[in-house]
Amino acid sequence: MGATKTAATSTGPATSLTAADRVALLRYMLLMRGIEERAMNLYRQGKVPGSFYDGFGQEAVSVGSAFAMSPRDRLCILHRDLGAHLVRGVAPSRILSQYMGREDGITNGRDGNVHFGDRTKGCVGMVSMLPDMMLVATGMAMAFKMRAEPRCAITWFGDGSTSRGDFHEAMNWAGVQQLPVIFVLENNQYAYSTPTTSQFAVDPVERAASYGFEGHKVDGNDAEAMFEATRVARERALAGGGPTLIEAETMRMHGHAAHDDMKYVPSEQVEEWRKKDPIDRQMARLTEQGVDVDTLRGEVQLEIDAATDQALAGPMPPPQSAADRVFYEGEEDLLLEDGDAPYSGFAEERP
Amino acid sequence: MSSSNTETLVEVTMPQMGVSVSEGTIVEWTKQIGDEIGYEETICLISTDKIDTDLPSPVAGRVAEILVEAGTTVDVGTVLAKIATDAPVDPAPASNENGAGVGGSAPDGRRYSPVVSRIAAEHGIDLSQVPGAGRGGRVRKQDVLAFLEAGGSAGGEPPLHIESPYRPDPEPAAAAAPTDSSTEGLSRMRRSIGRHMKRSLETAATCTTWIEVDVGRIEAARRRMGITALPILARCVIDSLREHPALNAWMEGEEYRRFDDRVNLGIAVSLGEDGLIVPVIQEAHTLAPEGLARRITELARAARSRELRPDDVADATFTITNPGQFGAIMATPIINLPQVAILDVEAVVKRAVVVTDAGGNDSIAIRPICILGLSWDHRALDGALAAQFLAAVKRRAESWD
Amino acid sequence: MATMTYLQAISDGLRTEMRADERVFVMGEDIGAFGGAFKVTDGFIEEFGAARVMDTPLAESGIVGTAVGAAVVGLRPVCEMQFSDFISCGFDQLINVAGKMYYRQGLPVNITVRLPSGGGFSGGPFHSQNPEAWFMHSPGLKVVAPSTAQDAKGLLIAGIRDRNPVVYMEHKHLYRRVKGDVPSGSYETPFTARVARDGSDLTIYAYGAMVHTALEAAYALEDASIEVVDLRCLKPLDEAAILASVRKTSKALIVDEANRTCAAGAEVAALIAEKAFEDLDGPVTRVATPDCPIPFSPPLEQAVLPTVEKVKEAARELLEY
Repeated sequence: MGATKTAATSTGPATSLTAADRVALLRYMLLMRGIEERAMNLYRQGKVPGSFYDGFGQEAVSVGSAFAMSPRDRLCILHRDLGAHLVRGVAPSRILSQYMGREDGITNGRDGNVHFGDRTKGCVGMVSMLPDMMLVATGMAMAFKMRAEPRCAITWFGDGSTSRGDFHEAMNWAGVQQLPVIFVLENNQYAYSTPTTSQFAVDPVERAASYGFEGHKVDGNDAEAMFEATRVARERALAGGGPTLIEAETMRMHGHAAHDDMKYVPSEQVEEWRKKDPIDRQMARLTEQGVDVDTLRGEVQLEIDAATDQALAGPMPPPQSAADRVFYEGEEDLLLEDGDAPYSGFAEERP
Repeated sequence: MSSSNTETLVEVTMPQMGVSVSEGTIVEWTKQIGDEIGYEETICLISTDKIDTDLPSPVAGRVAEILVEAGTTVDVGTVLAKIATDAPVDPAPASNENGAGVGGSAPDGRRYSPVVSRIAAEHGIDLSQVPGAGRGGRVRKQDVLAFLEAGGSAGGEPPLHIESPYRPDPEPAAAAAPTDSSTEGLSRMRRSIGRHMKRSLETAATCTTWIEVDVGRIEAARRRMGITALPILARCVIDSLREHPALNAWMEGEEYRRFDDRVNLGIAVSLGEDGLIVPVIQEAHTLAPEGLARRITELARAARSRELRPDDVADATFTITNPGQFGAIMATPIINLPQVAILDVEAVVKRAVVVTDAGGNDSIAIRPICILGLSWDHRALDGALAAQFLAAVKRRAESWD
Repeated sequence: MATMTYLQAISDGLRTEMRADERVFVMGEDIGAFGGAFKVTDGFIEEFGAARVMDTPLAESGIVGTAVGAAVVGLRPVCEMQFSDFISCGFDQLINVAGKMYYRQGLPVNITVRLPSGGGFSGGPFHSQNPEAWFMHSPGLKVVAPSTAQDAKGLLIAGIRDRNPVVYMEHKHLYRRVKGDVPSGSYETPFTARVARDGSDLTIYAYGAMVHTALEAAYALEDASIEVVDLRCLKPLDEAAILASVRKTSKALIVDEANRTCAAGAEVAALIAEKAFEDLDGPVTRVATPDCPIPFSPPLEQAVLPTVEKVKEAARELLEY
């Protein structure tokens, strides 16, 4: 503890992935982008109330890191990380219902956007106060350690979150107790309109060492690199090596939300990052290996169309239920349950 | 309204204002021939032995004929007037809304809390009569409850007091008319009572039997229950009547009619100098003392405000009269025909009496004693039965729990 | 059955649940080797070990936030705030994360947060507060406030077992001043109000330390028949018990050690006004701390806190109304 463990930026394809894993990574990213594009259209059609936030251009961060988590691991997911929910097995129609405030959404209309977590998939939904979920993930890891379970918790948070006290409390706590938790700092360059230069004086990845654990900067637009960094962090955590901070360098390619034209971002910066699009990169990689990505793309689109139809056919929540479900008075334990873990390395752990 | 060929004449007749009433007097016509009259609008005032009342028109229309002059007494059923109407069916009743809502403040400017207002409404209390011990004389909940406890549910009125028909004038007229005497005539009601009482004495073979009752237990119970002693005693009487139904009966001519279960209990209510009236608690046997108390209060208030309905004075099967508040201890009540008996309840007086304990030892104790006098009709029953009935009342009263 | 102080009863409740259920553990600042600022967990580390009697970093948000995480994966954490005042540093985790979790995603958060609260001993503005109303106003949190040793144990056990986040207000002033018979073993005190004293002329509603203030005042006013209702659970409030008492007495006096505005007592007053209006025979009256921080100096503190004298005075006024 206490030694500087910050490693160099790691990039490049992961050797632990099978061909099917690589296709799966692309498929989840395509699904995420397709669902969010569909949702944006529904938003413009007035079918999505409130505001709408997406993760366009950041798909590799959530998909790649969530892909490294086992069924028994637990996730606290941020609002630009729809891919993590998809990896855990949440149905696209329920996600679209969620956006539209419908009864079939994961929160049954009680919360919107990506403010959800499917309890039955091992996920906890975020709250808007960032990065509150860092502490929740730390607490999960604390429980795993107390019970000596070979499990890991992971959470995502943004560059702006590093300025808040809960970032410090979680990093410190996890470091003090050497907990099996992975912190994914999703550095997409802007917290709403505030650039990172106004957010911190020292690159946050450097801070990991001061809390007593490793920090790694990763190409956040490379799904396989994100996977690999997370896989390694997870193995370290399970081996008792404590937490890891992964700083995923990426770029928020859309405004903060649907209403934001992002005029505060220089267009050259956007253009530069467009060339690094994570989906284009994974498609190029797979095309090179002979995968028919166009067919895959077509299948994904059909899935989204079907999910849209299903979501649009679903009811709105009954108004008289609005004040229900404030307290749980049941007998049954309602805990987080195991989620999907499509990575081939977990084949044995899947039921 | 002009007459038309659809117009019909509806008769207004002298109503039967009680089972024993056979005639009534027109006091005053309030409508004259040719006047328009609404449904249930008063056409005249009438007086019977039992009550004075308005006679409401059975139909809306125009007074076509008046057949009986004011001051005339006619038999029940006599046609008094005819009303021309073109309304073939029962007209809609005239709006009779009582718009006066009871709020938290009274006309006297006092303001009452929600709970005080509610209790007053529930018990028909005139809050202006309730002394307030709260700040600035404010009536608190405790004050209104104490008022109720003291039996003052009909606030502002004299405490419920029941007089019987027989009571002689306290001062018999001197042989020579004193110079300060009044020549004012007796009221219609007074005269009617006189006729009725005289007829009773001439008809029934009246005997009177007395018994002494220790009312200590009833006194304790009534304080606990917040009611007067009368309803508790009435309950003892009702139960004893059902044990001895021969006294719960009518004698009409030669015909004797006994009521085995149902007790319609008449309670004599003084109306001051005007006279008295005997409103009836219908089906009194179905009521507990609390219920009897409430009905007595309601009927007494209605009697004093001249709001009794005909049913309220009809069909008594037995009567209680209770003139005891002036301290008189014995009387011989006159039977209220066609009933065969009447019970007189006199003043409760503390007396030294011999009491016997469980071991058979006698001692002298101070006990609240009341004398009950039962006048009964020897045509219908004999003295032994009267005594048995009184003993039954005494037994119930002295073991009241 | 044993006679215990309020503080010992809290310890006993914790120990009982920790022995019975290995999911239960305690976490907080200085609670391990030191046994806690008030010694509630004195000796616990010897019995349960450091993992289950967890000395945490000085991080209130961390305490509540990690407790939430531990709870949703199956543990039943009991968090100690060293003083209830410090919960402001953990407010967000309690209000926004714990309180709304079940409503939003059907995931109950089985945590208990112990808040040593209240003044009366020159604790000053940061060691004397009664912040229960903050939590009453926040959906998804239950709030309990025992006044007796027996309830201190029973409410704590019930709170630990309740599947929802429970804020447990333990009044520091009662820790060693209140003693009572406490049943041995495990028992739950229901989240309902309790009639601490029967009466018919006036009801005093109170909770925590103010129950004792109210009782003292009630006994002192010998001529009147004063009922004292110990609310015990502030969220949800026991509406039926509150209304039943005022329907009997028709006069309600609420004693609240918290700052007056929007305090627990204000909610009781509103409830009575809404649902027992027809039964009132006087204004619903409050004795509460004025809307100022709790001062340090004894004469200043006594001037703001409800005292037996102040309660007697208010009760007399209302009785005479």
